[in-house]
Amino acid sequence: MEYIGLYPMWYEPGVGSGWIVGLIATVHVLFSHTAVGAALFFAYLATVSYRRNQPELLEFIKKYGLFLLIFSYVLGSITGPGIWYSTTVASPRGISALIHSFVWKWATEWVFFVIEVVGVYMIIYLVGKVDRATHLRISIIFGLASYGTMLIIIGILSFMMWPGKPEWFVEGGYLNGFYGSNTFAQLAMRTAFMFTMTAVVGGVVAGAIKDAAFKKEITRKLAVLGMVSTVTGGLMFQWYMNTLPETAQVIFENRLPDWFGVSLIATLGGIFAWFAATWLQPRLLTPSIAMGMTVAVLVFGLWPEEVARESLRKPYVAGQYVYSNQVIARDVPGLDIQSEIPLLEKKGFLPTQVFVPDRLRQVTPHNALEAGRSLALTTCSNCHSLSSTGMRPLARYFGGNSDVAMVKTYLQGALGTGNTIYMPHIPLNDAEAYALAAYIVSLSPSPEKPVVRTAAAPNQE
Amino acid sequence: MDAAMLYALRDPAGVPSHPIIFLVLGVLTWALHIAAVQVMLGASALTLYGAFSTEAHWRRLAAAMITTAKVAVSVAIVLGVAPLLFVQVIYDPFWYTSNVLSARWVIGFIAILILAYLAMYAFYYRNHSLATQPTRNAWQMVVSLVLMLVVGWIMHVLSYQMLLPEQWMSWYAPNGVIDAGGQSLHGYSITRFAFFILLSVAVVAAWLFAYRRYLMGRPGEDAGYIAWLGPLAHKLMLAGGVLAVASGAAWLVTLPEKMAWFATSGWVWASVIALLAAAFFPRLMGSKLDQGLWGYAPFAVGAVALIVVAAAREALRFVTLLDVHGYDALDYKINLDWYSTSLFFITFAVLGGVVLGYLLTVAWKAGQTKGVYTPSPALTRLGNVSIGLLVLWIVQYFAIGFYVWAR
Ligand code: HEC
Ligand code: HEM
Repeated sequence: MEYIGLYPMWYEPGVGSGWIVGLIATVHVLFSHTAVGAALFFAYLATVSYRRNQPELLEFIKKYGLFLLIFSYVLGSITGPGIWYSTTVASPRGISALIHSFVWKWATEWVFFVIEVVGVYMIIYLVGKVDRATHLRISIIFGLASYGTMLIIIGILSFMMWPGKPEWFVEGGYLNGFYGSNTFAQLAMRTAFMFTMTAVVGGVVAGAIKDAAFKKEITRKLAVLGMVSTVTGGLMFQWYMNTLPETAQVIFENRLPDWFGVSLIATLGGIFAWFAATWLQPRLLTPSIAMGMTVAVLVFGLWPEEVARESLRKPYVAGQYVYSNQVIARDVPGLDIQSEIPLLEKKGFLPTQVFVPDRLRQVTPHNALEAGRSLALTTCSNCHSLSSTGMRPLARYFGGNSDVAMVKTYLQGALGTGNTIYMPHIPLNDAEAYALAAYIVSLSPSPEKPVVRTAAAPNQE
Repeated sequence: MDAAMLYALRDPAGVPSHPIIFLVLGVLTWALHIAAVQVMLGASALTLYGAFSTEAHWRRLAAAMITTAKVAVSVAIVLGVAPLLFVQVIYDPFWYTSNVLSARWVIGFIAILILAYLAMYAFYYRNHSLATQPTRNAWQMVVSLVLMLVVGWIMHVLSYQMLLPEQWMSWYAPNGVIDAGGQSLHGYSITRFAFFILLSVAVVAAWLFAYRRYLMGRPGEDAGYIAWLGPLAHKLMLAGGVLAVASGAAWLVTLPEKMAWFATSGWVWASVIALLAAAFFPRLMGSKLDQGLWGYAPFAVGAVALIVVAAAREALRFVTLLDVHGYDALDYKINLDWYSTSLFFITFAVLGGVVLGYLLTVAWKAGQTKGVYTPSPALTRLGNVSIGLLVLWIVQYFAIGFYVWAR
């Protein structure tokens, strides 16, 4: 018997697994980017402090460092594996594809992590306990190691969207997968924005500084860092957009809401204005306002960015060869990977999947609904919620259609042919298409059902 | 779940080096992970004991142990990442299935760990001077320790479910009806969990020997406190040895039938010898512990014992999956990638070795010095080499990157 290696499904009916992954990823981006930016900013401050003999700058490093210890390192170091664990249960074959191509890159990143963890405790707790030149040396090591983690993860994130070079599909090889225009554009953009985040979050600490002159100095340093990085980040975003392949451009234009571009510019403009204001009037900066700005960056900057990233690579989840629904979509001769579509076309999902109860392997009139549910879980639920909440609820997309034959025709026509750019090619033979259609129809409340409203239960339907 | 199904779940991309390398690195890094976890759990327990005590030495120990515990959590987490990586390279069919089947707990693990860590920090911030002031909000530390144990329990279940493929289908689709909610923790072994957790007693005892030696190197430390630590460490080591042997024996006699071969295997004998050697080592050393760097030796011997235990744990998994389920973790398809393989080993051995060597030496020496510490010229040179290596690494990243990009 031939199998395709689909794992069991995890289906979360409330918000959907996709949003849980997105949520963890969004907070993690804030924590980790702030931390990397801060590490480099600290190295800069430590240098200035050493050159100009300004020990109070080290005090700021210590304060901001202690704050970041909780904010970024404790929470960042947990949400990091957190993304990993959550994608593991939401998209096991997606994360597996990344791991199997990039395990050594991740292991290399891990060496930098270990240096980072040791370093962060040292730059905080050794202020005043080692001579200043040594402290400076540690700050530089810490900054460089932190940036090393960023350099590595960028290549993996880029691969997740698109393998660096198209040759990767034919030749394989880690370098072809890792490096490409998209890698460098993304690196430039993230490097800039990480400084923006450092400057925004740094306000929480700078805002609490008592000494007015010192507060002004730090606030202005942060403001300059923030303004320059926001503008640079905006420009790099343009570059990044130009490195996207055509399919992504089409999705970007057609599938992302119209307000997306406008809101992006507004967010960057707002951040810039905020830094300009604190540069002119450092007294404006208070911890609570800075906290508010941090939340604003999360909600208006990072969350839409994560959502866009999720949409842009549809229908794939990794490397443009693993579909979101975990099926291997195409041959990758470079790694000797075969598409699973031909086997699915020949035998169908239910007989070839590993995790299907035996009684559902053949569709019969008795088990059609259940077999259909199993198919929906496997083939659609990564992108469409099967309940009425969460991501793109399936029932809503069929508008209460109660005609099983019509739905079946749609499934075989639109999905079975692979003609929808943002959805996978999902081959469905007659029996499986029928079962799935029957299940989809059962999701919509039947329109003929009489609506009963009584005084006792006015809203009951 | 027959072998064909297990093999079908493997990632078609293969692995970039021989699988044995991942297996060995998995064992070594997991030993480090569990050592940090055990130091963290042991230090947390000692903190709590000291926080409820009125005895001056205990309170001072509590103050030191809360600092240890909070750093140990960071270290445990970062050291956990490595085995997390390696286990899914060669055991992906098992790891991913086990995780998905308990998906809610996998997500819960993150939230619970965050709460546990924040509770520990909250306690720490309320008790900056446990040695001199009464304990405040002890419940936060209780919450932290309990939640850490819950986190460990989730880890345990995820590891253990991997070993039970014959039950997966009945967990995923009880009575043939698919339940994709991932709400339950399905497979566990209380005795196995107890063994890994109770081992904390011996590990923290070894840690105390090192801590004692560290204090002896600091000028002007309280000799009475140092003298008090010695017998405490010896007592804990003895108790820890007994607990490890007892819980280990309980684990072995409760092994399910398909794993029963393990109880009498050489792996178990090697582990017993290593653990007993570690437990008796400080007694054998006697007063030698006070000379030179020998005070740190119990921890080093303990680390070796943990590596042996980690190897035995891996043998249990490898052999069970091979003999009972026909899955050979070492016959993974290889898509050899020289560049990333060598880059890792060079980074790990050269850059990691030099930079961490420099940082840890400075940290240790600074701790041994009263006042401001200034490293020797040789150590400073090592610091400059560290910076140089990091710069070199970044330069090669871009040089190779631009070359590949332009090609
Ligand atoms: C890779 C993720 C993905 C998978 C898997 C997926 N879809 Fe979609 N689907 C989408 C996206 C994205 C849209 C567009 C949503 C929008 O415009 O709001 C969509 C839209 C639709 C629509 C609306 C019609 C249209 O063409 O826009 C239907 C109907 C639909 N999906 C059905 C299904 C069914 C049935 C399955 C499973 C057999 C499925 N989809 C699997 C991503 C997916
Ligand atoms: C801080 C609280 C933690 C505790 C108390 C803890 C405890 C444990 C225990 C007891 C085991 C052994 C289970 C068994 O074999 O029965 C284990 C295994 C493991 N832990 Fe942790 N852990 C913690 C955090 C983490 C984190 C944050 C990670 C990931 C980054 C992690 C990664 C792992 C992995 C991957 C394994 C299994 C390795 C394998 O099976 O090869 N742990 N942990």
